[in-house]
Amino acid sequence: MSEAAFGRLKSKKRKDRTANLITLVVVVLFAVFVLFPIWWIFRTSLMTNAEIYKYPPSLLPADWLFSNYKKTLEIFKFWKYLWNTMIIIVPSCLAGTFTATLCGYAFARLRFRGKQLIWALCVGSMLLPAMVTLIPLYIGWTRGLGLHDSYLPLILPYFCGGGAFNIFLIRQFIVSIPRELDQAATIDGAGYFRILFSIIVPAIRPAMIVVALFIFITLWNDLLQQMIYINSSDKFTIALGLTNFRGQLKQDWSLTMAATCMSFAPGVLFYLIGQKYFVEGITLTGMKN
Amino acid sequence: METIDKSPRRRSHIYASEARVAYICLIPAFIGLIFLTYLPLLSVLGISLTNWTGLAAPKFVGIDNYIQLFKTDPYIKDSIIATIYFAVLSVAGSMIYSLFIAMLLNRKIPARGFFRAVFYVPYVLPAAAIYVGWSWLYEANFGFFNFLLSEVGLHKVLFIADSSHVVPSLSLISVWLAGNLIVIFLAGLQNVPSVYHEAAEMDGANGWQRFRHITLPCMTPIIFYNLLMSLIANLQVVTPALSLTNGGPGNASRFMTYLMYDQAFVNYKLGYACATTFVIFAILAAFTGVLFKTSKGWIFDEGGDDK
Repeated sequence: MSEAAFGRLKSKKRKDRTANLITLVVVVLFAVFVLFPIWWIFRTSLMTNAEIYKYPPSLLPADWLFSNYKKTLEIFKFWKYLWNTMIIIVPSCLAGTFTATLCGYAFARLRFRGKQLIWALCVGSMLLPAMVTLIPLYIGWTRGLGLHDSYLPLILPYFCGGGAFNIFLIRQFIVSIPRELDQAATIDGAGYFRILFSIIVPAIRPAMIVVALFIFITLWNDLLQQMIYINSSDKFTIALGLTNFRGQLKQDWSLTMAATCMSFAPGVLFYLIGQKYFVEGITLTGMKN
Repeated sequence: METIDKSPRRRSHIYASEARVAYICLIPAFIGLIFLTYLPLLSVLGISLTNWTGLAAPKFVGIDNYIQLFKTDPYIKDSIIATIYFAVLSVAGSMIYSLFIAMLLNRKIPARGFFRAVFYVPYVLPAAAIYVGWSWLYEANFGFFNFLLSEVGLHKVLFIADSSHVVPSLSLISVWLAGNLIVIFLAGLQNVPSVYHEAAEMDGANGWQRFRHITLPCMTPIIFYNLLMSLIANLQVVTPALSLTNGGPGNASRFMTYLMYDQAFVNYKLGYACATTFVIFAILAAFTGVLFKTSKGWIFDEGGDDK
């Protein structure tokens, strides 16, 4: 390498280092922007109401009043709400993942009459916005099947394939697995369900976890459907409980923020445990389309 | 795309059993597609032609609901404007923000995994709690943002309590929530072949030129995917109105889905609400259609390695 080229390389390296440093600074600034609201909410939840209204506001509470949480829990039945939310989420995740896997397998591997039509209907429904079917479904569940004030209208749809998007995801994943594996198993005399459960399912575990996570996130973020189907306060979910709690305590910000923080906690905890799958999963959806 | 095998007759018994298994596997999807998707879609159209309130038997009224919706409804126009305003701000904001952050995270910086996790956190918080939490930051007198404004000597702003600021304020929250877009963009950036960048660098291309002529074209399929998903999601926005603003102040945040909710579940005008639903559906379809139509022009197809 010539002397001049070497010099150029060296100056490029130095330039890269400066650029990386600037990048880091900008990233840190944005990270602060993202985390700050959460911190502000948390720090408010530990303050007295007098301290909240102090000017200028302080970044840290003077005393960390964890007793606010105890006070909040007297009105905000967090554990009950969490339990209710889980009653909806857990069966939905399990059933949605299971049925999406069955359907995805049929579309990816099996030959049958009408496949193209059914696949087209399935993909077409992916573009159908969920809010369009809200009213007819409400009428169907409550008037048709008499399910008033029940979790079933929220859970049962996940027994029907877990949504077209999830079927699509599983199907794409199965298509990418080499067929030789199931052919070898066929020669050994394995039936279609044997192949599905002993070969396909272990190979697509990451995709199944992703589907379960998506269903979790969808239900976790939902407020509209829960509001429509659930009426009595002992059946409230976290989202409903918090919305209702805020209505009752409009001005008591420290307790409202304590309730908000409690509602944040399960999601954050869940995320910390399953971070790897979250990131992998989101990445998958972007890449597989 | 699959094609149906035209199989030799002697193997047809195998296909018969294969098809039987397939139909068994697809029973849930059949039920879902018929009873949860396409039948409800048709019935929206059907119910929208009646005056059903849920009490008396529905009476056929033709397109009266649609006429009333466009001629005398006090909310629909504001509602469409508010929704499109919100969606455009949120989609544009979160696309730019998330692509920018993803590009930063794609550089060699320490603790990249940690930062990626940080940007993703808002996405795992329940939406209802996010809006309640942010309502405190936006509070008119003691909220954090007003503290900042008064520090730099500006007047206080009412944010979500002010009809001209409520939509931008809510959009900022949805930009803040765009962590999943960042993760998808980041994965896409890592798939851009580095040989392209190296070759361009040899030829003396600067950073902007490389971004414009290599990164951006390679990223177009992912940009399209993110754009489509966030557009559909943001046009259906309803949670902030339900949990925070109740469509106000005035009608400034009476988003279309909230309007539909209000007509159907607060005022029990089911027929009328279905007409609204159908109008919203048409608007959403128009947006999606335009996006698909133009996509052929700007999506760069590398050809080959993606099936």
